Amino acid sequence: MFLYGFMQRAFQASLLISLIAPMLGLLLILRRQSLMADTLSHVSLAGVALGLLISINPTWTNILMVVAIAILLEYLRMLYRSYSEVSIAILMSAGMALALFLMSLNQGGTTLNITQFLFGSIVTISTEQVWMLLILTILIIVLYVTFHKAMYVLTFDEDTAFTAGLPTKVMSILFNVLTGVTIAIIMPIVGALLVSAVLILPAAISMRISKSFNGTILIGFPIALAGMLSGLVTSYEYGTPPGATITLILVMILGIMIILKKLWQGRNT
Amino acid sequence: MYYIKVDDLAFHYEKEPVLTNISFEVNPGDFVMLTGENGAAKTTLLRNILGLLKPTTGQVKLAVKNRSGQKLVVGYVPQQVASFNVGFPSTVLELVQSGRYQRGKWLKKLDKADKEQIRRSLDAVGMWDMRYKKIGELSGGQKQRISIARVFATDPDLFVLDEPTTGMDVHSREEFYKLLRHNSEKHGKGILMVSHDHEELRNYCNKHIELVRKEGLPWRCFSMDSCKELSKPHFSSH
Repeated sequence: MFLYGFMQRAFQASLLISLIAPMLGLLLILRRQSLMADTLSHVSLAGVALGLLISINPTWTNILMVVAIAILLEYLRMLYRSYSEVSIAILMSAGMALALFLMSLNQGGTTLNITQFLFGSIVTISTEQVWMLLILTILIIVLYVTFHKAMYVLTFDEDTAFTAGLPTKVMSILFNVLTGVTIAIIMPIVGALLVSAVLILPAAISMRISKSFNGTILIGFPIALAGMLSGLVTSYEYGTPPGATITLILVMILGIMIILKKLWQGRNT
Repeated sequence: MYYIKVDDLAFHYEKEPVLTNISFEVNPGDFVMLTGENGAAKTTLLRNILGLLKPTTGQVKLAVKNRSGQKLVVGYVPQQVASFNVGFPSTVLELVQSGRYQRGKWLKKLDKADKEQIRRSLDAVGMWDMRYKKIGELSGGQKQRISIARVFATDPDLFVLDEPTTGMDVHSREEFYKLLRHNSEKHGKGILMVSHDHEELRNYCNKHIELVRKEGLPWRCFSMDSCKELSKPHFSSH
């Protein structure tokens, strides 16, 4: 399995996604934007469909589309401040509708490609994508190390962050854009329908274990890595879609953690 | 010199007026109590002052520099801080440390003096021993105390506090008021505090602003009674 070039690239990509997921996932959860990742992945499908329709590398149309929508999302979040999920619902449906519309214009010639983007495929990972993912991972780590204090305050309470002099609006837009670019890049690997699960689950699991903010991210790394690697191996062995397999394994880890914690609490009371 | 200057402020929610004719100043060394019945738009007024809402008419000026000529640092304790997300993965220490970041430490490491300020702040509210607890595991009163510790860790020039003593016992409240008064009198800090304990608090403040309904104003609209200067009884400071 490790002799195949596509599997080597898949493992390299998995390692990089495992580094990104706990950082982005935790911030998305704490900003109550878990569903934003889902919205952006639906929108990114439209980006892929557009690229295939006009015969441009879909990765680039995808990134452009997702960045534009990520900015629009922040505007809608402000507009519907008390009901921020409205913006998610609007853009999720609009993204899917646009993707289906553009796909139908393509007269079925690229159905296979779209299916790959929907469910993810190991064989679609190119060397170029691994490099893009590596650059993105380095960028996210550098940004996190530099701005984690500001992000902590922003996620804890946006009003307190504003009062402390942080540029909350700019930070929110940049965070959305970064999330969008990440989704656009990892979508071909895990699939549009499950990309948000892969980003959110490692942080959701480690939040049940760790007491601290940085601890949650540190514990999230091995959890994400275990889920990604075992998911890829299982996917290869049984021919199952990688995104679905990784998600199921992470959900199983979450279930085991919940049960273990209940047993631990029961023993200590 | 002022830290806050509110000049004939009015604020409307959509088209409904909720505040009108509000004018006052908070100067360095002032300890100002803001009171009013439930729904008197006290929090709305604070949010206007902090720039979280935009006044419909009138002006709010927040000083750019403190009395030493350095950038003004504002410490804000929002209302109902006790109800913050119980699942937020943070220890007490991490939260209180975060109050120190706005002292030029967003990109720098906290130094010895910062850590000492954090320790003293946690000590002052009796929460040092619980510094490694997850904030979600604390009681309402303890959460209130760590939010106060956080603002003392910031050591701001201007305190803006929205009912910070909710859930605190009488003794803790008195200690807190004494600490605030010490900060205003001895260190020239400006303090604007929304409170329901005005009988208790009036012994510590030097100004009292009450938001009231006035004749001729719409039902939900509040205005200022006046900005009363209060006489300060003598206290032994900490």
